[in-house]
Amino acid sequence: MRLLVVEDDRDLNRQLCLALEQAGYAVDRALDGEEGHFLGETEPYDAVILDMGLPKKDGLSVLKAWRKSGRTMPVLILTARDQWSDKVEGFDAGADDYVSKPFHLEEVLARLRALLRRTAGHATDEFICGPLILDARTSRVFVDGQLIKLTSHEYRLLSYLMHHMDRIVSRTELVEHLYDQDFDRDSNTIEVFVGRLRKKLGIDLIETIRGLGYVIRASEQKPSPPQATERSD
Amino acid sequence: MVVSWLMRQSLAFRLFISAAFWSSAILLVAAVILTTLYVHDSEVAFDRRLNIYARALIADVASSDETGHNEIGQLGDPLFLIPFSGWYWQITRVDGTAEDLRSSRSLSASKLPKLADLGISGEVGGLSSGYFTGPDKRHLRMVEQTIDTGDHGVYLVQVAGNAEELNADVHLFELRLGVAFFLLVSALVGSVAVQLRFALRPLRVLQDGVAMIRQGQAETIEGIRSPDLAPLAAELNLLLLSNRDIIERGRTQVGNLAHALKTPLSVVFNEVRADASPLARKIEEQATVMKMQVDLYLERARAVTRANMFGASAHVKPALDALIRTFSKIYPAKRFALATHVATDLCFRGEKQDLDEILGNLLDNAGKWASRQVNIRVESEPVNAVTGRRFFLIHIDDDGVGLTPQQCLEATKRGRRLDETVPGSGLGLSIVVELAAAYGGALTLGRNASGGLRATVRLPVF
Repeated sequence: MRLLVVEDDRDLNRQLCLALEQAGYAVDRALDGEEGHFLGETEPYDAVILDMGLPKKDGLSVLKAWRKSGRTMPVLILTARDQWSDKVEGFDAGADDYVSKPFHLEEVLARLRALLRRTAGHATDEFICGPLILDARTSRVFVDGQLIKLTSHEYRLLSYLMHHMDRIVSRTELVEHLYDQDFDRDSNTIEVFVGRLRKKLGIDLIETIRGLGYVIRASEQKPSPPQATERSD
Repeated sequence: MVVSWLMRQSLAFRLFISAAFWSSAILLVAAVILTTLYVHDSEVAFDRRLNIYARALIADVASSDETGHNEIGQLGDPLFLIPFSGWYWQITRVDGTAEDLRSSRSLSASKLPKLADLGISGEVGGLSSGYFTGPDKRHLRMVEQTIDTGDHGVYLVQVAGNAEELNADVHLFELRLGVAFFLLVSALVGSVAVQLRFALRPLRVLQDGVAMIRQGQAETIEGIRSPDLAPLAAELNLLLLSNRDIIERGRTQVGNLAHALKTPLSVVFNEVRADASPLARKIEEQATVMKMQVDLYLERARAVTRANMFGASAHVKPALDALIRTFSKIYPAKRFALATHVATDLCFRGEKQDLDEILGNLLDNAGKWASRQVNIRVESEPVNAVTGRRFFLIHIDDDGVGLTPQQCLEATKRGRRLDETVPGSGLGLSIVVELAAAYGGALTLGRNASGGLRATVRLPVF
């Protein structure tokens, strides 16, 4: 999952990005409205965290511009203006949820998970496929109740496929959503990650569709309950 | 005292009184002058008639002595023959030799007094005139002249006429003049009243315009086209605009301050969150106090700007529609439905931000606690016969577990959160209570038919 954080306060921006990266997301950052607007227009983000009070171009204008040009990614707005009239304005401009400042990072993470879940059409933070459980709240993966240690890139790849279950995801799309903009991208590494994932999970959930990409198909099979151990990066 | 009483009266009344006073005074002076002139002219005409008789008598006196006849006093007017008719003549020899007195038959045995004896001095030429009370107790006017016939003696010729005829004429004139002038004064005063009504209409329009702004029915003064008052109305409008501008700037500054403080507070919270040291705990505690202070003073600043705001109104239907759109996104699993038709012209008498705040907090609360459905109903109250004000009610029903009457009372207290596990500041419902009260309305909490909470807010109609 690849996210964009648009926040002009450097410290808050850093805190948000760190927390999101620790939660297993690929994160791009922007410090003003113009840069944020440009990135949102050109990169395929899974969600955006957008501050309303930004230099150069305010958050509301950025959001309106994205929606006008057809960008549909979920947007979580951060606002110090906590009156309902301000929030209504934000929602009418195309926001999907809001967090009032001052906030705790946990609140932002929870709202963001809910947004991504809603976009994927899921009711809970747990994505289940046969014996596999991906807990988006804790960024942990279980197979038959056993915790599987994954690197952050492996987790991102699995998480993206789980969020888009039953849809064939191309390698290019995976590259765009797994790495932030500063990362040196190479689509061949995707094959390597898929190979490693199949090996670590021990089950062949990830199906290769030749010439198109990969897909995880939903399964009716109930998994056994997870046992708590830490995910390694 | 009269002046101070007048100073307290309206401009129109003062103008009216002053116009009535001066036109009456001027007409009164005119009436006095006209009457005086009329009396004078009437007397001159009366005297001229008496003089004609006097001259005839003088001619008689002179000729009778020459011819030896005694045909004096044949004036041909029967009034001189009727006793006590009010018309008399009398010729008296006054050279002292012998009292030779002749008089008209109408005088009977009475005598006419001399004007000199009555204290009326003679005029140049020996002719004098004056009033006196005659033998018949009538008010008479008399002319008298002394003639010297040389050897035949000196005579005093007197002719008196009934002055009551003269007085009756004067009185009739005075009556007519009085009636005419009274009608004139009435017409003048009436026209002044009509003119004042007409001339002062722009002032009334101005007054109505200011009243409408005060009552919140208008934002600017409209309809003043009089060149005298249009600049005043324009100045007042500019004053209102600048007032609104100052308030708007105040609000913006308050918002900026909030933004400026809340971002660093977020940073502080998140920095110390991961740190378990006593210092970090202290900083977190103080940052929490700062956050509460920011919220408190923001709310106070909003209340101050609200108190200075007048003439504001907000449409209820679009506000509700926008909030329902918003909450459908915030609580996607719950359905927010407007259960009644809301008249598109229903307006809240107050700031749109405050209406949003009241409804936003109530809907947020309902959204938090509803299991699936939130119903919103809008109801208009009839006009209050005493105050002339009208209110509307918004009922917000959720299908949650509801509150007991005791919990309903507790829920509206500042900072009170009945369930600490659900996010919130606990300020929502107390803000609604304070805002509704500021507009003369109220919030009531109760139970609806499905057992969930019913929040009813009563707000003034614009």
